[in-house]
Amino acid sequence: MINRRDFGKLVLGATALSFTACNSLASGLSTIPANKKRVVIVGGGFGGAATARYLRKFDSDVEIVLVEQNKEYYTCPFSNAVIAGMEKIDFIKHDLNTLAKKYNIKVVYAKVTKVDGANSNVILENGEKISYTRAVVSPGIDFKYEKGYTKENEKYAPHAVKAGEQTTILQKQLENMKDGGTFVMVAPADPFRCPPGPYERISLVAHYIKNNKPNSKIIVLDQKDKFSKQALFSNGWKELYGDLIDWRAAQFGGKVISVDPVKKVIVTEDEEIEADVLNYIPNQKASQLAFDSGLVANGKDWCDIHPKTFESKLVKNVHVIGDASNAAPMPKSAFSASTQGKVVALQIARILKQQEPLNPPKLANTCYSLLNPNYGISIAAVYNALDDKIQNVDGAGGVSPEQDPDGHIRILEAKYAYAWYESQTSDIFK
Amino acid sequence: MKKLAFLLALASLSFAVDYDPIRGEMLSLSCANCHGTDGKSTTSIPKIAGLDKNYMYQTLLEYKTGKRVDTHMMQKHTKGFTDEELEQLSYYFSKVK
Repeated sequence: MINRRDFGKLVLGATALSFTACNSLASGLSTIPANKKRVVIVGGGFGGAATARYLRKFDSDVEIVLVEQNKEYYTCPFSNAVIAGMEKIDFIKHDLNTLAKKYNIKVVYAKVTKVDGANSNVILENGEKISYTRAVVSPGIDFKYEKGYTKENEKYAPHAVKAGEQTTILQKQLENMKDGGTFVMVAPADPFRCPPGPYERISLVAHYIKNNKPNSKIIVLDQKDKFSKQALFSNGWKELYGDLIDWRAAQFGGKVISVDPVKKVIVTEDEEIEADVLNYIPNQKASQLAFDSGLVANGKDWCDIHPKTFESKLVKNVHVIGDASNAAPMPKSAFSASTQGKVVALQIARILKQQEPLNPPKLANTCYSLLNPNYGISIAAVYNALDDKIQNVDGAGGVSPEQDPDGHIRILEAKYAYAWYESQTSDIFK
Repeated sequence: MKKLAFLLALASLSFAVDYDPIRGEMLSLSCANCHGTDGKSTTSIPKIAGLDKNYMYQTLLEYKTGKRVDTHMMQKHTKGFTDEELEQLSYYFSKVK
């Protein structure tokens, strides 16, 4: 006999069952129709979205499934402007709705736990499987939690390297900091997402502090001795902010021994520093998904790939692009990820049509950084993807000119930074 | 005048490469990041879709040799491409509608 409580359980159970069935994230995708080919893309950021949009450009017939865990995507580019109060968080918010509708891409919102190369399917957190002919994995980074910094206490000393909630937390902390406070950034060891990113951030924090809390100070504890566009940043800091930014190389007091994110105390080799706001950017590695999917070799942090197609060296038919891939000398940047996604889309379209991949594909990168809203600097490079490595094209690339006596180039590059962002996000999300 | 016409004819002859649309498109993929999809920029970065191929090639060569100077961004990129690749790019963007 069923009592009232049991009856309640049954009803709840039935509701839960029907809920699951109605919301089946990937229903009908566990197999591929005999006459079809399917490319499953994991991750809807700059890499994954570019792959999806351009794969449709190159192949009108292939089935494209894009799996992304978040319905809203906040870009790391321009997240520093949000932290410094120059832009609202919505400025960096994008979604996959237009991409899905306009280019006939099936978007599945779900967390992927593993790409199962042996059985050619992508496994979702709820156990569902999506079969693929080829998979493209663009999962981004994860952090090395160490020295006292943990997933649980990161909100007290936000890294803000994955944009969104963390961006807002750091922005609020800066906004609430007292005038006369100390803003401390711990900058990571190489390689990490967006090599100029921490230094753009510290520039824009300085811009905010100069205008809002001029008695405050900034300390950067760097886990390395040099960084991207260093001369341009250093000269710009001096020109715009005097001695407000105290940057310390690893060998000259920057090296961090331990951190207490709750108390905001950092112990270096020389001293103990108490911060009012602590922006701790940990050392990084490929997303855990890449490790769980066997895409990272033992003892390594990133996914090794065949440069021409970005196919994993460890798992056949799976291509890894963006920050998780070891595409050095290409930096882990939005521009790189997007370029890689487009080239990989072209190569996969050819492979699926039994054509040889193009040889050699050409890749490029451009990164703009703002030192204030009207002061931009840039770095660029062009690469050939050879059989065994990605190679800088000799003589190409470089940084902004060191001298800009009338300031026109810095102003123009700040405008181009905004224009690039609009072009880049339109190109892949719209 | 005749001499000029002859030289122009020579110049256009020397430009002629076998246009490879797939290669042109592959080379164009990075350009779109700043200049918009297929070069159809809607921002302050110049639109390059539909430019005359001779004009575009000439311009790219001038960037590459340093004869034309912008913020130096285009010098950095054009130096990464062979002259033949710049021709393919010029063909590709000239054909974008």
